[in-house]
Formats: sequence, C-alpha cells, structure tokens
Amino acid sequence: MEIPSLVLFFTLIGQLLFIGIAFGSVIGEEEFHEELVLRPLPDRKVMGHFHFESRAPPSNSFGRHHHLFPKAIAQLVKKFQVKEMELSFTQGRWNYEQWGSFDPIPSNNAKPPGVELWAVFNLPQEQVDASWKNLTHTLSGLFCASINFLESSTSYSAPEWSFPPASGSLRYGTLPREAVCTENLTPWLKLLPCRDKDGLSALMHRPSIYKGFYHSQRLRLTSIASNLEGLGPGIVLEQTLTVVLQPDNQKNMMYSSKPNLQPGWSMSSIFGRKVNGRCMLAKSSNVYLQFERGLVSELKNLEKENGKSGDENLALEGFLSNPYFELSIKPDRIFQEVNNFHIKGPSIIYEFQVDKYSESLPFDLGLTWKIPIGWTCQQAPLHACRFLMGSGNERGAIAISLKSIESIMSSLDANSLDGSCKLQVDIFQVVPWYIKVYYHTLGVFVDGKPHAVRDIVEKIHVSPSKDKESPGVMEMVLKLPCGVKSAALTIEFDKGFLHIDEYPPDANQGFDIPSAVISFPNFHSNLLFLGDGSLNKSPIISVFQKKSPVLSYTEVLLVPLTTPDFSMPYNVITITCTVFALYFGSLLNVLRRRVGEEERFLKSKAAKKTGPVSQLLSKILAKLRRKKWEPPSSPEAASSSSFINSKLVFKVILVAAIAVCWQYYSG
Amino acid sequence: MQSSFSKMTAFLLAILVLGSTLLCNSTAYGTHSSSPETTMHTNNWAVLVCTSRFWFNYRHMANTLSLYRTVKRLGIPDERIILMLADDMACNARNKYPAQVFNNENHRLNLYGDNVEVDYRGYEVTVENFLRVLTGRHATAVPRSKQLLSDEGSHILLYMTGHGGDEFLKFQDSEELQSHDLADAVKQMKEKRRFKELLIMVDTCQAATLFNQLHSPGVLAIGSSMKGENSYSHHLDPDIGVSVVDRFTYYTLAFFEKLNMYNNASLSSLFSSYNPNTLMSTAYYRTDLYQRQLEEVPVTNFFGSVMETIHTDSAYRVVSRKKYGEVETIMLSEESLHHDERSLMNLSVRDQVGNTESSFGDIWSLFYHKVEKIEDADTLVNYGLLAMLPVLAVFTWLSS
Repeated sequence: MEIPSLVLFFTLIGQLLFIGIAFGSVIGEEEFHEELVLRPLPDRKVMGHFHFESRAPPSNSFGRHHHLFPKAIAQLVKKFQVKEMELSFTQGRWNYEQWGSFDPIPSNNAKPPGVELWAVFNLPQEQVDASWKNLTHTLSGLFCASINFLESSTSYSAPEWSFPPASGSLRYGTLPREAVCTENLTPWLKLLPCRDKDGLSALMHRPSIYKGFYHSQRLRLTSIASNLEGLGPGIVLEQTLTVVLQPDNQKNMMYSSKPNLQPGWSMSSIFGRKVNGRCMLAKSSNVYLQFERGLVSELKNLEKENGKSGDENLALEGFLSNPYFELSIKPDRIFQEVNNFHIKGPSIIYEFQVDKYSESLPFDLGLTWKIPIGWTCQQAPLHACRFLMGSGNERGAIAISLKSIESIMSSLDANSLDGSCKLQVDIFQVVPWYIKVYYHTLGVFVDGKPHAVRDIVEKIHVSPSKDKESPGVMEMVLKLPCGVKSAALTIEFDKGFLHIDEYPPDANQGFDIPSAVISFPNFHSNLLFLGDGSLNKSPIISVFQKKSPVLSYTEVLLVPLTTPDFSMPYNVITITCTVFALYFGSLLNVLRRRVGEEERFLKSKAAKKTGPVSQLLSKILAKLRRKKWEPPSSPEAASSSSFINSKLVFKVILVAAIAVCWQYYSG
Repeated sequence: MQSSFSKMTAFLLAILVLGSTLLCNSTAYGTHSSSPETTMHTNNWAVLVCTSRFWFNYRHMANTLSLYRTVKRLGIPDERIILMLADDMACNARNKYPAQVFNNENHRLNLYGDNVEVDYRGYEVTVENFLRVLTGRHATAVPRSKQLLSDEGSHILLYMTGHGGDEFLKFQDSEELQSHDLADAVKQMKEKRRFKELLIMVDTCQAATLFNQLHSPGVLAIGSSMKGENSYSHHLDPDIGVSVVDRFTYYTLAFFEKLNMYNNASLSSLFSSYNPNTLMSTAYYRTDLYQRQLEEVPVTNFFGSVMETIHTDSAYRVVSRKKYGEVETIMLSEESLHHDERSLMNLSVRDQVGNTESSFGDIWSLFYHKVEKIEDADTLVNYGLLAMLPVLAVFTWLSS
C-alpha cells in the first residue's frame, strides 16, 4: 500500500517538474464573463437573458486546481469524455409568434418544457451508452432533478443527422414533465464563481423569476481539444437563463390615458433587485439593452413621419433627447447591426458597463415609453405546430403543420435568383414506444393538397420503436417549394398497453410525446455588428454573430392511454352483488312466507313484547285499578327458569362435594 | 422440626427458580446492551420523506420542508439530508406564490428558500427507492448525494408524512409501504451497521401501527396517532386554498422553534409536549427497543448535529480509521474498567460495613437488589405462584 503510493507521488512530482520545465507557465487563463441582455417584447413583456461564460484553457490535466472554473463540471467532462453537452430546464413555452423565432436567442435558448439533455462523447461507439447512463445519474445528483430517468434505453435516442450538433456519438433525451424549480437553479448558480451573491446573478430573486411566463435555464459545455500534445482539453461552459417577465404595469395604467402605451420598467421592478456592482472575479460584466429590428424600423418610420431623417440619429444620440422613449442611464456604447438585406431596420444594442456601479450607487436600468408603439418580431420562415388527430383509446394520428409567414417568404423569393427555389426543413421527432407509429402511413400535404411523399421528403431515416426497449425516431429532410403557404405531415399510430407496474402514479393525466425539433438549415439567425475589436470579446455578442440555423420546438403532445382502473371492476362487482341480493332475497321471502304462521307469531310477539317500562306501567295501572297484576309469562320462560335453578343447585352440590372430598382426603 | 425443614426446602426451591430466571434475564440484557456501546455517536443523518402527490396534499410537503429547515438550522448539513418530495408544490401552476412554500397562513417563513436540495422528487419517490436509500443498495451510478452514507456511529432521523392506514403508508397514491417492509429495512440497516440509533417519526393517520413489526434494538419510534385515529391538519390558508400543515408537525415545530443548537432539551420533553387535545389524536411512542433513558437524550442527538469534542493533548495526528476505532474502543474499555473498579470499590465498602452481618444477610441483600432490578413483575408473581404449588403439595403431604 505504501510503496505504490510513494511511486505514484514521485511520478507525479516528476511530471509536474517536467511540465514546469516544458511550458513554464499556464497557457491562457481561466476567464469568467457575465452579461445580461434585456429586450422589450411586443406583447408588453420584457425578456431577460443572462449569459455567464467560464473558460478553462487547455491544461496539463491531472489534479489541476481551478481558480474560477467549477470543478464538478471539469471532473464530469474528464470522467465521461464529454465533447459537447447541453442541459436545459424549462418551464413554460416560448411564444414563437409573439416573441420571435428568427433570432439567436430563441433558436439557441427556446427549449422544450421540462428537461432536455444531449451530449456528444469522445468515445468509441460501444462505450457511448454506458457513459451516457452514468452521465445522467451524475447530472441528476448535481442538479437535483430526476435526469436519471433518461438512463433507460426507452427514453433516449441517437439522432443521426437531423439534430444540429449531429455526429455519431450523440445521445438525445427529454423529460417533458420534469418540474423545474429553485432546487435546480441553486446548484446551477453554485457553478458561478460569485454564486448568487454578487454581480448580475444577484438579480435572481427566485419568486420574481419563477413568476415569469417563460423560464429556461441552460448549461452548455464544449470541450476544446488543444493542438499541443500533453494538454488536456479546454472547456467552455456557457450558462444561460432566459426569462420572460411581465413588468408591473399598475403604475403606468394609473396616469397614462393611452392603453397602447408599452409599460415602462426598471430592473428593480422586474427582478425585484438592483445590481450592486459587478462580480469581482468576472472579466467583463455588462448589461445590454437590445431593440429588435422590428422595433427599430418602427421607430424610424415614426422619425420619418416627424420629418427628421438620418439613421444615425436614433442610434447614436437619439437616446438622450428623443420623443419616443427614455433610458434612466446613459449607455456607455451603442452598436448597430450591419444590415444588408433585411427589410426591417437594423437591431440596436445599448451597452452598459456595471464596473462603475457599487453598493452605494446601484445599477438600475429603466426604460419608459413616451408614445404608444407596436411592432412584430421576426419570424422563422415557417411556423410549426403539432397536434393530435383522431379519438378514442385505440388509435390516432400525429400531424405537424407548417404555415408560412408572408414577409419572410417574400424576402426569400427576392433573394432566390432562379425559379427552382426550395425551402429546406429538417424534422426530428422521438416517439415513446407505447405510441406505435406506422411509418408507412406518412402523408404529406402541401397547400392543402396531398402530395407524393417522395416529391417532398428528400431524405428520411426511421428507426422504429421496440417494445420496452427503444423509442421510435423519425428524421426527415423536407424540400418545400418557396411559395408554399402551408404544409402538413400526418402519421398514424396505435396506442399500446403498458404493464401495470409501468404506469406512473398519475397515469390518468396522459402521457407525453416530447417536442419535435424543426430546423431550417438554410436560414441563419446571426446578427453582425459593427464595432471595434473589443466587441468581439463579449461572449454574448459573439454568440449573436455566430452562424446558427434557425430552430424551433413544437408543442409537447399529451396522449391519453388506457389506464388501469380498479374502481370499475369494484363498481361492477358491488352492483351485481346488490342486484343478486335483491333478487334472491325477495324470491326467498316470497317462497318461504307462511301467512297464517306469521300472524300467530305476531300475536304472540305482541303479547310477549313488554319492556320493563311497559311492565312497570301496567303494574301501576293494575295498582290504580286495584286489581291483581298478572305478569305476561309464557310456559317456555317458566320452564327455562326452573332449568336454570336446577343447574345452579347442581353446581352448588358439586362444589360442596369437592370441598368435602378435599377435606376428607386432606384431613 | 419436620415442618421447619420442609419450609426451608420450599424456600430454597423458590430461590432456585427465581435465581435462574434472574440470571437468564441479566445475561440477555448484558448481550443487548454491550454491542451498541462499542461505537461512539459520530454523525447525524436525516431522511425526510413526503410521500403524497397532488396539490391538495400541499401540507405534507410543507411538513417535510419544515422539518428540513429545522434539522438544517440545528446543524445537519445538506449532504447528510436525504430529502424526498413526491410532487412539485413550489413551482406548481396552482401555487399563487411561485417558488415559495409556507407552513403558516401568516406567510412569515418561506420554507422553499434559495438553498433547498431535493434528492429524490416526483416519480422517483417510490417504495423501492425509499428502501434502497435505507438499505444502501443502489446501482453503481447513483451519485453520493442521493445515498444514505451512514455508519455504525450515525444517529438517523427518519421522518415520513403522507397518507397511511393500519400498518401501511401510501406512496404517491399508488404504492404502499407496509410495516413489515419498514421493519425489514431497519433490520437490514442494523445488520449492516448503518446506524447507531434511529428515530422514526411518522405523521400519518394510524401512524403507530407502522411500528408494530419493528424489533431492531436502538430504534425509537414516534407516531402522530394511534390505531383507529386520524391525524388532522392544523389550519387552512385561504390564499393558497389548501391546508398548509398537519397538527402533529405543527406542534413539533412549535417545540423546536424555541430551541437553538445548544439547548439541552431532552426527547422526553419533546414527547411530553404533545397534547392529545390540541393534536386531536394521541401521539404514540415506542421506546422498548431503545436503551437510553429519554430524559438523558437531548433532541439535538437526532434533530441536530452537535458533536462532542474530544480534547487531545497533542496536536492532530493522522491515524487511519481503523486505528482510530481501536483507540476509541480502548478508551471505552478503560472507561468501563474504571466503572468496574468503582463498583468493586463499592462492593468492598459494603463488605467492610456488612462484615458483622451473617453471610445469609449478604445473599439476602443481593437477592433483594436483584428483585429491585426486575422489571417484569408479572412473571415474577407467576413464578412465585408456581413455586407455591410444590410447597403446598409438600405441606399437605406432611400434615397428613
């Protein structure tokens, strides 16, 4: 025991020395950034998007001490050889129509309700499943959630190419009904160097965050293999929290006569707290206020109506003296999107640096509108929605309907040069095994008319479900004509039966089919900003600038299955028994009834039936009438009493005999 | 002369019978008491279980979270608390106060603060998982935070609340934990040396029946109601719309709110604080498996984590666990030696005093002391009666 540990120690020392000589110093440093994007939404709500990024550079791994990077995550990456992973906890549903779907935030952060987890492993194929299972257990311990239910092979799948980070060792699983609450947020916050004590994360007042309409907490990590040999992978940990909150608009309604006026808000009014300076360990700590393209173009139109001109006006100095809105704090910098082909105006971002603020001077950004304004958010090319068809507990059908949004399609038309323009849509759908989907029944409708599947579906990959073993997975690439108004896919299924032990305690509520993923690989939701080099260092801006395909999730479907119901047989048994009892009872009654005997019996009963009170009464009456009272006695009673007497006498005699015997023998 | 002889023999017979039973008792007692005392109380664990699903069972979750808050306040750290909540009430769509759970209508205290760690929740709260936690038989991948990693020096608090009946407790409205299951799990825990002492606290209807099958030493059990009794909720919160706390738990908390970590309130004071009139049920406690006197056991032995500090003369020495155990046992045996010495001294003193008395007097006093110690008076009387029979027989034979 002693010797091997000594050897190990020396080898470690040796390694350390060697590394020290070879590299001299650490390559790069651990970094932490915290950022918050606030964005007014058209339906009088405000979106807050927290973005925390921790980076651990490639390092000479063993026994490394982390300064800022959470150790739990580093260990997890090392142990399970995770190349990329994303875990999200979501409550509520992102409203794609109102809050936009053609934008980096919804395509990266709008997640299906419950828990979604996918991971890519750096492992040979045969070890991936085992690693996935262990990963789910570890995450469930780390985040206080029942992610370990994703362990069973019926709940996860391995998409081949339709889910964006597609690669051979990808595993994907969702738990649509997982509750999301503070116990999930707290461990997530504990991964941050300042926890929720300081900096932007101090804004997370639980009741106000969970009061929101949408709440999605996400953790994404990417390990970066280094080029240098002998170095372990570096890790980038991206933690985001997206909330959609309703500003308390009681105050606004009080004095504004205009009902269309967007509510004014401040950070303290929506989060219930202010920022008391930055997290000291963060390299950058910024708050951004973003105006979407739709809003900016609307503001510009107003500007034009008022006779002023010049785009720069609004962006650069407009915030100070404009008739439309007012910011409570002067922004440090303003960025404008480089806009080449969008009809709508460029998106504008106001940057506020939190460094300057402290506890004595807390940061509390506020926005008040002066005039009513309405705008729409940018939409994905097609709006996807999924629903169930059919009725009954036996069979049904799933339909995915895609509806076009006019403006985008026209812009697409304008961009396409040749007539053979095609719109590519990728669909990825996982269906649990007890929903037995018949893939041959796939029907495609374009603009309401049925089409041959092979005309529309360019590529399809189906792995049918196996009972109690694996879910059914369907991956599809659709090529739709650009002018399409609507498209629909239908597929039929039979409902299966579960074993009685497999039903959850609330089976009567129905079973969930996880969200389908609809992505548009030809559309990229990136925003390009003009600015100096320092801009690119901001993690959130670099996420905005990164090309990512437009992605949306459909609704979760709730399928009622036949559930075991023990009250039904119970009811049947009780009612049958009652009927039988009534029938046979009355029959027996009729058959056995003897009228004459009954009358006699009743008479005798009437004679006999004299309680002590009535006896007493009759006695008193007799006394009053001065007659001798005759107790109503029957011959049986008399005989029985005499019998009892004889018994008593016998007993007394017996006891006396025993006593005599005893006396005789003992004496 | 003859009669006096017979008297003597009868008396001797009686003494023989009595003495043998006494000896049996004392040996049995000795084996019982010696085993748990070899280890010291070194750590505290708590397993808090809410077994009911659905919104209308809000109070059960509030019960469990109140206890969670109490044990945390009294010093058991989160990693030594296994919290099982069968449903999500805090972020339930029906909850008017998102991310908050209250156990009182004054809403002064949010039980679901910023630092709750739920280890098992939702569908995970099953009888199987519960028994796995108790017995420690997990799959290899299960993280340590979800395991009860107690040892033979652990005091464990097991608190359960939900809907129960005669010898069962419902889990999630679909499964049942029976008193036999619980007893078997506890027995297994005892055999695996997973606890030194275990306090089972149950707040359900007919809670007392759940303890019927327990027979492992070192277990103390307390239930909110006897067989045939219901456990009622304390009050309804009109804002939340449901009852928020059960009576038994409410009064338990009322007792604990007055305490801090350093109070020396004993378990008997907790047990005697339950008033059947306010509880509307009779709190039942089973102490026959528990060796220590309840008056001497502070509540923080189970509901908190207050450790005795052992003062050592030298600086901290690195000793392996086994060695430490040995040291401990040696120390304890030394203690017992001291104790023995003391008792020997007592004996010798008594000897010196009683030298003048006859040897019979000595025997008699010994006998008297034994009789004093006898707990089971009924059996003694029975044996006495039995002993009377031969005496009677002899006498009748003699007098004839």
